[in-house]
Amino acid sequence: MLYDRHGRAAYSLSYRMMGEKQAAEDLVQDAFLKVWRGAGSYRTERGSVRTWILSIVHNRGIDQLRSLASRRRTQNKVEASVPISQPSEAFAETWRNSQREQVREALGTLPPEQLKILELAYFSGYTHVEISELLDLPLGTVKGRMRLGLKKIRDYFDSRDVAVPR
Amino acid sequence: MNHERFDELKEAYVLGALPEQERRELEEYLAAHPERQAEIDKLDNVASLIALSPPEQEPSPELRRSIMDVVQAEAQRPPARTRSWLAAVRERLSVQNLALAAAALLVIGLFSWNMLLQGQVQDLQGQVASLQDSQESRMVALAGTGAAQRAQAELILLKGHKAVLMAEDMPRVPENKTYQIWVIEGDVPQPSGLFEPDGETVAAVVEKPLDEDDVIAITIEPDGGSQQPTTDPMLTAKL
Repeated sequence: MLYDRHGRAAYSLSYRMMGEKQAAEDLVQDAFLKVWRGAGSYRTERGSVRTWILSIVHNRGIDQLRSLASRRRTQNKVEASVPISQPSEAFAETWRNSQREQVREALGTLPPEQLKILELAYFSGYTHVEISELLDLPLGTVKGRMRLGLKKIRDYFDSRDVAVPR
Repeated sequence: MNHERFDELKEAYVLGALPEQERRELEEYLAAHPERQAEIDKLDNVASLIALSPPEQEPSPELRRSIMDVVQAEAQRPPARTRSWLAAVRERLSVQNLALAAAALLVIGLFSWNMLLQGQVQDLQGQVASLQDSQESRMVALAGTGAAQRAQAELILLKGHKAVLMAEDMPRVPENKTYQIWVIEGDVPQPSGLFEPDGETVAAVVEKPLDEDDVIAITIEPDGGSQQPTTDPMLTAKL
């Protein structure tokens, strides 16, 4: 089942966005039911199944964050947990962990001011205008940091001659 | 929106950071300039990596159970979602309405404007017409794996051991390959028809008569089909 393969990644993203267990679980359930009902439009040429599922979690998460009258700020307090793999999933899990490590390393190369803006946009659902107001920065600076941040992530993979994971 | 504005906003777009109005404008621009979609796809691929960076969290076992409960409940009744082509056909496809179903299939063929599909549909029309004296039918869903996990496929079993396969969202087959239907009686797979989805929908008659306890499977085979399956099944169902 897709949930067994991708549920943890979906929940991790959801928890990062929603900041608490119940809202994170509701979002994951909502996203997987959308997957089940086929309302999405997965196409192999547009990326992996995981990317597709995470994009559903992300998009619905942003919708929910933006619909909250009083927005909950993303909590950074998260507890590390030890992944538990089924033996048959061991290889795939190792592969996915390796990709996650690469992505974290790539994000680690970003200057903090770029990373902050990417995270506020991606995880917390702020628009570029809201970020500009929140950080008291010109809008052009926010856009510029978004551009440089994404470019730096791409450069990380290019410089190692590694394809960007999909 | 002009080119400069698109360049200015594309990163915020893939990060989901555009206000609604700007997002709509950018998407209208994209619709008018499809040649720029590839830039968005590349950026989107990079942005989507951010989803992998949060520390891992283990969801509770209750979440899995809760999702499975809803899935199982929905699996036991026709889904209440917006009806897809397949679902719409399924609703309408009673044996008494086979002529209507055939017409629906013909419409699909016209939409895709593919002569091959048209030929298949017309052929199917003829075969379906011969089944019109049947009085009962039932549906059996096929389970997809791998690239066909998202496919929705069902067998419509007709009186007289005949069946029609209907499927949508089937992955395209590689060049020089085709889908092949197998009816497995005991342990013996019998070649039972070929089809090649053009676009997202397909309808094909299962050529071999079906019996209770037969298994039906779909594999990808070289053009012209095989005498024995040469790849793992992508869709299966037990009758």
